[in-house]
Amino acid sequence: MNRLLVLISIVMLYATAAFAGETYFDNHPTMWKDPEILIWTPDAEPPIDPKEFCLSLRRNNTGIGEPKCRQFGEWERDSVAVRYANWLKLNMESRLEPEYLRARHPAMKAKLQELEDKIVLFVTSNGNKISVAIFDETATEPKSAGTLFQHGDKIALGDEIASEYFSGKTRRRLTKDERKKMQTAPDDLYQEVPKFVAWVGIGAGYSQAKIPLTPDNWYRSHIRSQVRNYRITKDSVSLWNFLDDSGPLFSVYAGGTWYGFIGLELIYRFAQHDVKTDSKDTVYKELDYWKFYQHEIGLNVLLSRTYPATKWLDITPFAFLGFQYSFFVEDIGLKDDVVKPSRAYGVRIEFEEAYKGALVGIGSQFVFKKHYGIGLRTGISSRGRNVYSDPTPDAAAEPTTIGASTIDWFISGGLEYHWTL
Amino acid sequence: MRKPFVLVMLILACALTGCGHSYHWTQSHPDYRQVPYGDLAIAGTENAFVLTRAAWFAKKLEISTDSVQLKVTSFCEQVFLDELKRAYPSFTRIPKEIHKAFPEESQKLDDRIFLKGHIPEQGVVVKDSEGKIPPRILILHEFFIGTDLKRELFFDYALIHNESADKKTSKNLSAVISYTLWDNEKQRPLFSAVDEVQKSIITPTMADMESLIRTSVQQIRKNMYAGVVR
Repeated sequence: MNRLLVLISIVMLYATAAFAGETYFDNHPTMWKDPEILIWTPDAEPPIDPKEFCLSLRRNNTGIGEPKCRQFGEWERDSVAVRYANWLKLNMESRLEPEYLRARHPAMKAKLQELEDKIVLFVTSNGNKISVAIFDETATEPKSAGTLFQHGDKIALGDEIASEYFSGKTRRRLTKDERKKMQTAPDDLYQEVPKFVAWVGIGAGYSQAKIPLTPDNWYRSHIRSQVRNYRITKDSVSLWNFLDDSGPLFSVYAGGTWYGFIGLELIYRFAQHDVKTDSKDTVYKELDYWKFYQHEIGLNVLLSRTYPATKWLDITPFAFLGFQYSFFVEDIGLKDDVVKPSRAYGVRIEFEEAYKGALVGIGSQFVFKKHYGIGLRTGISSRGRNVYSDPTPDAAAEPTTIGASTIDWFISGGLEYHWTL
Repeated sequence: MRKPFVLVMLILACALTGCGHSYHWTQSHPDYRQVPYGDLAIAGTENAFVLTRAAWFAKKLEISTDSVQLKVTSFCEQVFLDELKRAYPSFTRIPKEIHKAFPEESQKLDDRIFLKGHIPEQGVVVKDSEGKIPPRILILHEFFIGTDLKRELFFDYALIHNESADKKTSKNLSAVISYTLWDNEKQRPLFSAVDEVQKSIITPTMADMESLIRTSVQQIRKNMYAGVVR
C-alpha cells in the first residue's frame, strides 16, 4: 500500500513538473486591458491557435477584457525579424539573463520600439519543448521567457501560456493623446530644486558623555564621580561629575533649506539628569529627590544635498554646525518629615546661569511624498563658559566654574513635516 | 580601541579619493564552456594591423617612410597567421569582403571599456573561404603596434582623447589587441578581450617585431583559455 502511495506521489510530482515547464525570467511586461496580442513564430505553423489563445486568456485572467489575437504576419515576412526569430530559437536557454537575448540589429530594435501598446508573444517549438518569449515596446530584449512541454494539444498549451505569463493585473490602454502626453511629460527625477524648503519636527533620542570609538579612560573619572555632602567632587570641570550623563533627549526644531544646499535650523532640546549623590553619605537621608532639567536653545547651519531616490522618496544627507545656550534648572525636594534641612543643603552647589556651547554632527532626512519626513542625526554637543575673558590678578582666588567643559554625544530621530515656499 | 578608528578613517579616505579604478579587460558569455581546440577560423586580420609612430619605426628599421606602414603591417599579419597555423593546424580564413560586410558594433567589457568591431548579424551563419561553416571564428578587431602603448589610452572612453606626450626614448615594443571569439553556430560572442603585450627593446628590429607578434598570439590563446566559464 505504502509503495503504491509513493509511486502515485512520484507520478503526480512528475506530472506537475511536466505541466509547469520552466520560466527563465519574468520581468512583468505591462498587461493591458483589451490587449492586442501578436503571435510571432519562425515555424511554418504556430504551436498555438490565435482564436483559442484569446479564449484561454479570458478563462485565465478575468481582468483582461476582450483580447484580440492574431498571427504577426508583418514580422514573419520581414527578413530582419525572421533572422532574429531564428536566432532567438537557437539561443533560448535557461541560464541566460535577458540581456544575452537582446536584439542587436538596429532595424529590429526599431521594430520593437514601434510596438506601442501591443504585446508580442514569441512562441516556437524547440525539440520536445515549446519556447515562449514576450516582448513589449519598453525593451529590446524579451521581458519574460521560458519553456513549456510540448504535448500536441494547442488549446491546453494556450491555457498554460495564459496562466503562466498573462495572469498579472491589467491596465487600461492609453489613448493616442495620453501616450503623447506621457512621452512629453518631464521626468520626475529631473525636476528643479525648489528655492526654499521649510520643515518642523519633533524628535526623541539618547545622549551620553562617551563618544563612540573613543577610549573609555577619557570619561571614566567624570562618569564614576559622585557628589558628597551636596558639593564635593574630585573635580568640577564637567557637569557629568555631578549629573548622570546618559538618558533620553527630546527636541523640537524648525528650519529651512535654500536651493537644496544651505540651511538654517532653530532647535530646542530637553533632557532630565539626576544628581549622582553618594549613597554612602548619610547627609542625603533627608533628601527625597534632586535633579536638573536641561533646556537648550540652539541655532544650526546645515549643508545638505537632496537625492531623489524614487518618485516618492527624497533622501537628504546633511552636516550641521551650530551654537547653543544651555540652562540647568534645579528641582530638589526633601522628605516630608524633615523639619530643618542640614547646613550642607543650604550651601549646595550651584551651576552657572547659562552655558554656551557648540553642536556638530551629521544626519539625513528621508522625505516621503515631498511632505512627510523622518530625520535621523547624530553628533556632539558641548557646554562651557566663555573662555575669551582676559585673566585677572584675582583669577586664582575666584571659585572655579562648574562644568566649564561638558561634552556629550547624542543620537536622535524625529518626525518631520516639510513644505515648499 | 585604536583599530576601529583607523578603519573608519581608511574607509573615509577611500570614499573621498575613489580608491582607484580597476578595469575588466575580458568578457565571457555564460555559455563559453570550451576553448577552441585545433579547429578555428579567423577574420579581420586584413584591416586590423596599425603601426603607430610610423616615422620613428621607418628610421629605426631603415624602411622608407612611404612604405613602412604597409610593409610592417603585412609582415606582422603574416607572422600572426603563421603562429596561429602552428596552434590550430586546420585553421581557415573568412574572406575580407565577408568580414567587412558584418555590421559595425561596440561591445561593453567594463563601465568604461568599449571595443568596436565588425560583428556578424544575429541569425546569419558565416562561411569561410572554402564555403564551409566553421563552428568558431576569432575576429580580430584591432592590433596596434607601437612603443610603450597603454591599452586604457585606446579603450577607456574617458581617456581616449588625451594626447600623449611626445617621447624621445622607448623602453618597450608593445601591442594592443582587441578581439572576439565568435560562436558561429549560435551567432553570439563567446569571449571578448583587449590585451596588452610589452617587450623590452634597445633598438627595434624585424626580429623583435616577429617575437612581439608571436607573444601576442600566445597571450590571446592564454586569455581565451582563462576566460572559459567553469
